[in-house]
Amino acid sequence: MAIEFKLPDVGEGVAEGEVVQWLVGAGDAVEEHQSVVEVMTDKATVEIPSPATGVITALHAEAGDVVEVGGVLFTLETADAPAVAGAASSTETAAQAAGGTGSGAVLTPTPPPKPVGAKALATPSARRVARELDIELSEVAGTGRNGVIRRCDVEAAHGAGGASTVGAHASTMDVPTGAGGETRVPFRGVRRKISEAMVRSRDSAVHFTVVEEVDVTELVALRERAKAVGAEQGVKVTYMPFIMKAVAKALERFPQLNGRLDEQAGEIVRCHYVNLGIATDTDTGLLVPVIEGVERKGVLALAGELAQLAQSARTGRISPERLKGSTFSITNAGNIGGIHATPIINHPDIAILGVHRIMKRPGVVEGPEGDRIEVRQYMNFSTSVDHRLADGADGVRFLVALKELLECPGLLAL
Amino acid sequence: MVDAAALSVIGPDGDAGGHECGLSDDQLLHCYRAMLRTRVFDEICMKLQRSGRVGFSVPNLGIEGMQVGAASALEKTDWVFPSYRDFGMALYHGVTPLRMMHNMFGNGLDSAKGRQMSVHFSFEEPIHFFSISSPIGTHIPQAVGAARAFQARGEDHVCLASFGDGGTSSLGFHSGLNFAGVWKAPVVFLCQNNGWAISCPSSGQTASESFAIKAAAYGMPGVKVDGNDLLAVREVVGEAVGRARAGEGPTLVEAVTFRMGGHSSSDDPTRYVPAEELEAWGERDPIDRFEKYLAQRGLWSEGDEEHVREDALAEIDAAAKEAGAQAPPGLETIFSDVYETLPDHLRAQGEAVFDLSRRKGEAAAGGGEFPL
Ligand SMILES: Cc1ncc(C[n+]2csc(CCOP(=O)(O)OP(=O)(O)O)c2C)c(N)n1
Ligand SMILES: [Mg+2]
Repeated sequence: MAIEFKLPDVGEGVAEGEVVQWLVGAGDAVEEHQSVVEVMTDKATVEIPSPATGVITALHAEAGDVVEVGGVLFTLETADAPAVAGAASSTETAAQAAGGTGSGAVLTPTPPPKPVGAKALATPSARRVARELDIELSEVAGTGRNGVIRRCDVEAAHGAGGASTVGAHASTMDVPTGAGGETRVPFRGVRRKISEAMVRSRDSAVHFTVVEEVDVTELVALRERAKAVGAEQGVKVTYMPFIMKAVAKALERFPQLNGRLDEQAGEIVRCHYVNLGIATDTDTGLLVPVIEGVERKGVLALAGELAQLAQSARTGRISPERLKGSTFSITNAGNIGGIHATPIINHPDIAILGVHRIMKRPGVVEGPEGDRIEVRQYMNFSTSVDHRLADGADGVRFLVALKELLECPGLLAL
Repeated sequence: MVDAAALSVIGPDGDAGGHECGLSDDQLLHCYRAMLRTRVFDEICMKLQRSGRVGFSVPNLGIEGMQVGAASALEKTDWVFPSYRDFGMALYHGVTPLRMMHNMFGNGLDSAKGRQMSVHFSFEEPIHFFSISSPIGTHIPQAVGAARAFQARGEDHVCLASFGDGGTSSLGFHSGLNFAGVWKAPVVFLCQNNGWAISCPSSGQTASESFAIKAAAYGMPGVKVDGNDLLAVREVVGEAVGRARAGEGPTLVEAVTFRMGGHSSSDDPTRYVPAEELEAWGERDPIDRFEKYLAQRGLWSEGDEEHVREDALAEIDAAAKEAGAQAPPGLETIFSDVYETLPDHLRAQGEAVFDLSRRKGEAAAGGGEFPL
């Protein structure tokens, strides 16, 4: 098997090393422990020995090159498979050794449910890619320490299998390309930041989502009037400032949804002010600028700030300062489409509101003369709460309160 | 440079002048093998470190004679409070390279369950080899405390506290030697003066004329011995052990030697150790010297070294492979061995961790990525 030998941290905390000279050439046979290359780090110049007996098939750096710790130095082809964790033949078992002295293990984990056969050791990214590529991990040879399967192993196995689909995760190796060709977009910058934020949220928050239908017929009428008033002052009034006001009011009743988790302190921070993160679809991707002190501001003022935000977002000039400090967030997919969604919480907030499209539908209206059918306007709202920090019931109650306010927007003035 | 004040037994040509060491031929050969095995173990650990298979190692080239000589003066019931270079003492007393490799890899069979650094061994048998402390000198008062306990219980075990020339500047050195003197505790202090404390020469460590002379301040004898002479170290430490066991109190032994390798796997000694000094001390290699002594007694001939080396290499290499293939310590070991009854907050943390690992897989070394 081939071992990609990576420059280890030969000191304590060394970051990189410069190749001083190669002591062997590509194609040379080497013994375990035989010195292969001299590397100079900021601590010492050391000879790096071969980790196994075999043939050096490739040198990946030249004398004078600086290689980062973890960077591949050479490839070694060995005859035997690498040792796999847990495969040792020792008569003692780890459990016996762990028993050791003292009272022994006072807490024992229940073993994870294992699929048939032992679970393959693999990094999380390897598992994800394997899932995406539909590759059985047990069939992939791991090149990580102790035989741990790494992402590149899965990708290599995928390449070897000659699968026909080309995923975004295909790396530099040869994969057949479809007739239409493909475009590669660097995964960095805003896209990467968004990715990190999403993963952070998904990995920490336990999402619970609830959806509610709201009759916004009155709100639509109110907004029409407000639009005219705003126009006189040069402010474009959308539905969002009303929703923001309603959210701030509802959060007064459900403060457990307004704030964030301070993981370091091990405390849930409840805020006595409402800073709303407004998820904004920009050309470069999703941004969540924050509007502060929503509880203190009127609808027109909020409308003005939103317009200004939209402008800065379009020109790509939202300062990083404006992207911090939300206590709750709103994501609006309504102007695009979709009847509901499962909003992802803006880490480290506790909850988020999703706003969806307004639709005209026949509705049942209760009147003194009994029920009648009318053309009404409906809008769906969804709320995701981090179930670690609040309960599902809190989310539902909050949404019901929001519904009351938006169905009868006059209440916002109270 | 050869210190006239330091006691020597074996001359440069291997002649011990009829010295009676009290060891049988078999025991002498065991000492020889222990020194060579220590050297090979050291070499392999450095290779493992350089090829990224273990994180850290500490060379002990040049001090094998002192380690084995001192260890040979102890009974199996005695206690060693070692410094990080002293694994030769463990090998001499029969700790297997495999058990030591379990520590190097910090695997599930490591006696410290992966909680210690590499080369920080601890063993309960065949001899009490106290868990090695990285902080300099902290084990000196611990050795004295243990010795005081044996004294109080009427047990005749002796503690050997081993430390470096640099260790004499630690607080533990003063408080340890002071109370050992006051209590007449059964402890032997072995100061390995190897010329250096990392890059600080031993001349920069004290204004005293020697390290041994410091014993006077604590009311105990101080003896200086040639640290590259296995029999001399055995003689001096043996006498100190005898006094300790007889209730006559502690002794400070200064063994004069030279650190022939780097301070640790992170060090570059070529930046500060003068080449002439290395060369001169190379002439006094403890293993070469002992070979000459054995040859004079008809116990050694050309080719023996290769033999012992090859056997040691095969055994230690195999031990490294086996230890390297072992699984890491189980997650539950994070929560064991501190409290007899686990407090609720730790139990809750433990359960949360186990739950996470059930959902996301066990944390494992590899590529710097941790599932947790
Ligand atoms: C209290 C403390 N201070 C500093 C260090 C860093 N340190 C590690 S080894 C060492 C030198 C010790 O020299 P010496 O006692 O002569 O032992 P040698 O390494 O020469 O065997 C130092 C300063 C430490 N481990 N602990
Ligand atoms: Mg020293």
